[in-house]
Amino acid sequence: MAEATHFLPRAWPRSAAWRRRGFRRGLTFYLLISPWLLGFVLLGALPLAGAFLMSLTNYDGLNLDYIRFVGADNYVRAFGDTEAQHALGRTLLLMSVVVPIALIVQLGLALLVNQPIRGSNLFRTIFYLPSVIPVVAGAWVWKIFVDPTGGLLNALIGTVAPDANVRWLVEYPTVVLALFTIWGAAGGGMVIFLAGLQGIPAEYREAAMIDGASRFQVNRYITLPLLTPVIFFNLVMGLIGGLQILVQPMLLTPGVLAMNPGVIPPLDNYLYVVHAYTEIFVKQLFGYGAALLWILFAVVLGLTLLLFKTSRRWVFYGVEP
Amino acid sequence: MSVLAVRRPRRISAAETGLRYGPVLLAAVVFALPLFWVLVTSLKKQSEYNSSPVVIIPPEPQWVNYQLAITLADFWRFAGNSLVLSASYALIVVFVSALVGYGFARHRGPGRNQLFILVLALLIVPTFVQFVPQFVLFARLGLTNTYWPWILWALGGSPFAIFLFRQFFATFPRELDDAAEVDGAGPLRIFLQIYLPNAGPALAATGIFMFLWPWGDYLYPSLLLHQENTTLAVRMASAYSDPHGNPWQTVTMAGVVLYVLPLIVLFAFAQRFIIRGIVTTGIKG
Repeated sequence: MAEATHFLPRAWPRSAAWRRRGFRRGLTFYLLISPWLLGFVLLGALPLAGAFLMSLTNYDGLNLDYIRFVGADNYVRAFGDTEAQHALGRTLLLMSVVVPIALIVQLGLALLVNQPIRGSNLFRTIFYLPSVIPVVAGAWVWKIFVDPTGGLLNALIGTVAPDANVRWLVEYPTVVLALFTIWGAAGGGMVIFLAGLQGIPAEYREAAMIDGASRFQVNRYITLPLLTPVIFFNLVMGLIGGLQILVQPMLLTPGVLAMNPGVIPPLDNYLYVVHAYTEIFVKQLFGYGAALLWILFAVVLGLTLLLFKTSRRWVFYGVEP
Repeated sequence: MSVLAVRRPRRISAAETGLRYGPVLLAAVVFALPLFWVLVTSLKKQSEYNSSPVVIIPPEPQWVNYQLAITLADFWRFAGNSLVLSASYALIVVFVSALVGYGFARHRGPGRNQLFILVLALLIVPTFVQFVPQFVLFARLGLTNTYWPWILWALGGSPFAIFLFRQFFATFPRELDDAAEVDGAGPLRIFLQIYLPNAGPALAATGIFMFLWPWGDYLYPSLLLHQENTTLAVRMASAYSDPHGNPWQTVTMAGVVLYVLPLIVLFAFAQRFIIRGIVTTGIKG
C-alpha cells in the first residue's frame, strides 16, 4: 500500500496539497497531545466548571434529584463566615512567614552546596532528603521530634533551660507547621536554584573577582540578579502550594493519628483548605465548600497575577545564558 | 560545575576551609537531626521512649521493633498495594507525558503555543477545586474503592512531566526525524524507536517523581479507598497503637523507616541523575 502511493501522480494542485499537508500535520499534533487534551477537558476544565455550578447550589452529596439553585448565596455566606476569615488570615500569615524563609533557606543551601567542597553530593542528598519523605512520615518525624515526652527538641532546650517543658503541638502548633513546611520544601527549591546557579556562565563571576569584588559582592551584584527568574519561579510555586496546605495541619493535630472526619486542628493551624475540607467531607456541604474553593482559586489567581505584574520591576531577564 | 576550584589550584587556608565547611556542616546537622531522631527512636524500648531524662542512644537496640512494625500493620500487604498503585500510575503517566511532550516539541498545529501555556497555567489551579466534582463523579460511577481514579489521572498526563519532556525533546537534533521519515516511519514509530529509547535520564527522573506521588500521597487514598485496599501512606498514620488508642511511638518509627527507606535508596542512586535532569531540562528555555 505505502509503496503504491509513490507512483501516484500528483493529482491535486499545489496549494491544496499544501493545505492537506498542513491539515495532516495539525491532525498528527492533536492526536499526539490528545491524551492530555482529553484529560484536560474531562478531569480539569469540566470539574472546574462543575465545581462552579456546584457552588451555586445547595448540593450536599445526596440530594442530586431535588437539588436547588441558590444563586450567589454560598458566596455571600462565605464572605460573612468568620471561620473562613480566620482560616484565610492564618493561611496568609503562615505564608508570609514560610515563603520568604523557605526562599532564603533554599538559596542559601544551593550556594553552600555549589561551592567546591568535598562530599557536596552527600550534602545535597541530606538537604534533598526531606522533600522525598511523604507527608505522613514527615508528620510523624516532627511529632516525635517535638514530643514533650520522648522528643529531642525539648531535650536540647532542657540543657539550657531545664524547666521549660514546651508542649509544642498544643502551645505553638503553627511554629511546628512552619518548620515542617520549610524543612520539606528546602530540597526541591535548592535543586532548582542549583540548576539556576549552574546556568550562570562562570566568566561573569570570575570577571567580577578579577576586578576585585569580594565573594559577598559577587553574590549580591552578579549572582543574585541573574537568579531573579529562579527566585520568581520558586516564589510563585511556594505561594501556590502553600495556600493549599491541608494534610500537614490535620496530621499534626495533637492526639490524632489519622485524618478521620471530625478531626479539627488547633485553631492556630485551622487553615483555609482545612475549613473547605471540613465543610465538604464532614458537614457534607458540597455546594458551600465548592464556593470556598472557588474563592481560593480566585485568591491564588489574583496573587499570581499580582506577582507577575511586580515581576517586571525586579525579575531580570536581560542575559540569555 | 565547580569551575573556581578547577581553575585555581592553590592551597586553601584553614580559615577558608572553616568558612567553607562550617555553615554547610551545621545546616546538614540541623536538617538531619529530626531524621536521626526517628532512627534512634525506632530502636528504643517503649519504656525508654517514655522515660525522663530523654534517652539519646538506646543501650540495647530493639531490632524487634522492625519485626513488630511488619507484623502488626500487615506491612507487606499494604506495601504491595502502594507498589501496584504507584508503579502503574508512574508507568502510564510517564509514557503519556513523554508522548504529549514529544507532540509539543516536534509537531505543529494550530494553537500549539496557547495550548502549551495552558498546560503550565493549570499548575496554578488548586487541585482540590477540581477534586471535589471528580470525587462526586467517581462515586457515582462506582470508581471509589478502586484504583481507577489514579489510572484516569495518569492517562491525562502530568503538566510537570509534559513540560520536562517537551524541553528535553526540543534539544534532540531534527535530522533524526528527517532520516526516519525518509525511511517511512510515522510519528508514533519515531517517538517509540528514536525519542523514547534516547530519553533515559528524563524517563528516570520523571519516573521517580511520578512514583513518589501516589506512594507518599495521603489525601486521595484516604478519601477514595477503604481500609482493605488503601495504601501504606494511610496505613502508616495509625497502624500502631495500644488498645486505648495511644500511639506506640517506637514501633511507629520503625514502620516509618521501612516506609521511607525504598524512596531514600531510590533517590540516593538517582541523585546525580535528577539534578542533572533538572539542570538540562528544567527551567531553561
